[in-house]
Amino acid sequence: MIRKREFAFLLLIVPALLFYLIFYLYPVVSTFAHSFTDWSLLKRSVHFIGLENYKQLFHDDVVLTGIKNSIIYAVIMTIVQNALAVPLAVALDKNLRSKNLLRMVFFAPAVLSPLVVGFLWSYIMSSLDYGPLNQMLTQIGLGSVNWLGEPKLALYSVILTQVWQWTGWAMVIYLANLQGISKELFEAAHIDGANGWKTFWNITLPLLVPSITINTVLSMIGGLKVFDIIFSMTSGGPGHATESIVTVLLQRAFTDSQLGYASALGVLFSLFVMVVTFLQLRLMKRWEVS
Amino acid sequence: MKKVFTVIASLFLLSSLMLAGCGKTDEAGSKENASGAAQSEKKVKIRIMGYNKEETRKSYLDYLKEKLPNVDIEFQFVDLKSFENMLRTQLAAGEGPDIFETSGSGAVYANAGYVEDLTDASFTSKYNDTGLMRYQGKVYTIPLQSWFEGIWYNKDIFEKQGLTPPKTWDEWMTIHEKLRQAGVKPQAMGAKSWEPMMKQSMGMLLNEFYTKPENKDFDAAFSEGTKKVSGNWNEVVSKWTETIQKGNITKDMLGIDYDQAQDEFATGKAAMWESGPWAAEALKQKNPNLNMGMFPIPGLTEGTGWLIGGPGSAFAVNKQSKHKDVAMQILELTATPEAQQALIKDNFGSSFLKGVDVQLPPEYEDSAAAFKEGHVYAPWITWPFGAIAEDYGKSLQEVLTGAKSVDDALKVLDDKAEQQRKSLKGN
Repeated sequence: MIRKREFAFLLLIVPALLFYLIFYLYPVVSTFAHSFTDWSLLKRSVHFIGLENYKQLFHDDVVLTGIKNSIIYAVIMTIVQNALAVPLAVALDKNLRSKNLLRMVFFAPAVLSPLVVGFLWSYIMSSLDYGPLNQMLTQIGLGSVNWLGEPKLALYSVILTQVWQWTGWAMVIYLANLQGISKELFEAAHIDGANGWKTFWNITLPLLVPSITINTVLSMIGGLKVFDIIFSMTSGGPGHATESIVTVLLQRAFTDSQLGYASALGVLFSLFVMVVTFLQLRLMKRWEVS
Repeated sequence: MKKVFTVIASLFLLSSLMLAGCGKTDEAGSKENASGAAQSEKKVKIRIMGYNKEETRKSYLDYLKEKLPNVDIEFQFVDLKSFENMLRTQLAAGEGPDIFETSGSGAVYANAGYVEDLTDASFTSKYNDTGLMRYQGKVYTIPLQSWFEGIWYNKDIFEKQGLTPPKTWDEWMTIHEKLRQAGVKPQAMGAKSWEPMMKQSMGMLLNEFYTKPENKDFDAAFSEGTKKVSGNWNEVVSKWTETIQKGNITKDMLGIDYDQAQDEFATGKAAMWESGPWAAEALKQKNPNLNMGMFPIPGLTEGTGWLIGGPGSAFAVNKQSKHKDVAMQILELTATPEAQQALIKDNFGSSFLKGVDVQLPPEYEDSAAAFKEGHVYAPWITWPFGAIAEDYGKSLQEVLTGAKSVDDALKVLDDKAEQQRKSLKGN
């Protein structure tokens, strides 16, 4: 009888399993298989070419720029976003009268689509005389800055907008965690004569570690995958200065029609993200335990 | 009892899921039947995908709607930035539009077997041969009005500064200088896109490279792979970079997009802007008092100059289209003088349909001599490759920032072309 019952449960899994197989496992396996071929949208036949695509990847300057930029983007986003979100959450957890309004204000940008944010900011950061940001800077005597047109600066301009957009989102997760910390701990610390800084360092921060893990891992993965904001703000330009792994992937796959080659980049990219996430989780776990 | 209940419940759930699936296919099936049985009552849906905005095709679409009341025409505009990506993905998935806009012969799509062979279609012979671009001897695309672009200039500013459209490159450089001294931004450019610099450097090539008799067949040789741009274009493109050294094209422009540059020109903040007739309507909307004209890109020696352009955009029919007959009917209708005039009305150009006369509007008078000589050409649309002009344009952005030399930029173009030749050959 037990067997029959288990069979019934197994049946319940089938729809989800099918969905997983068709929309996740099949594309992954297929991408992996195609990464060893010269599959192209420009022709009908496909040939096995071994590791040729992978070898080529390391000689493709634009791919290397993309990898470099994605790493810079992900690391800066992870550090800055969280370094700002933790104090922000602690501040907005205090009994301020305007705390709900402020929470909303900081969270609001996260509701917008990155494409909308991108178009808005590329207008704000325009190097034209009437670009609002430059107009402001000129008025206070700082002169105008070529935010998106200067290749050395463009990537950091994009990062600036994303910190603005996503810090509030990380803040909300920290807030939820903070509200779960027992008030007694703070009271006890207060009685023992601990000041604000000590309380933060010895009570708040250690108890926030679970959400720090979640937030840093998520922003690292999200950062490595960055695409939409770059597409809408710079299209990878000027030249290839702000290209990310995914913008290059898209170009190679569809503009150049080299699907096999792009698959190889996709496989390599997935492996890379997996390794980074694994290492990061290990590191954070160690911190959580101690 | 409980166990029986679980089994029944799960079976019920599963069957409802399956039924839901069936329901969908049933519905789709019956819809198709209905449209087959009563075609006169139900509208056929045709999707046209283009990279020219709907407003530049409005009169033409209205004309089609009037002539084909039973067809529901959906015009889908996709920005050129992602047009090819979207189109190719849709075609590869078998879900492409019925008709799509493309430039040139449609070689890339023909090679992959995505487009209908139109060589023997009834309407093809109604076009002048100059407008029909062939790939391996066959016609896959039907030309719309010709496409050209040159330098728009603000006539009022020019008059105020005592300037006239340039006849030579040096004159053009002097005009920039004089305008700058007068406190007017000489040229607006949306160099955030790879297009404008690519096109202006091509303007120099048209004047100084393609006019030489020994380079007459250069594009064919480049397509084949027997000639490279490196070693051929270097001198001319290097000469073109003079406009960067003189500060006519600046790094600031890399932070400006097409629409923002258009604004600058429309509001009189800049005296010149490189674009085409499709922008005329938008410019007049933004500034009804704008008094503008277009001159061709001048060469080193005095002459008519050259406009960038050609047969330009054309329509191709998707081979997998479910309503191919209707798509062909639309092309048949397009091959009428009325449809051609409607196309020209919203976006000026000449027609390739036999027997259609087009009056040159006053804005283009400064380009009349170039038109007369047939000095309108765009090298890259004759190449049977994908979007490699984009890679060249992006390299020119790097030339502007100083990250690349002209030689490097041309090498990028050669490498990309070689890659594409290889994958085209591997059929």
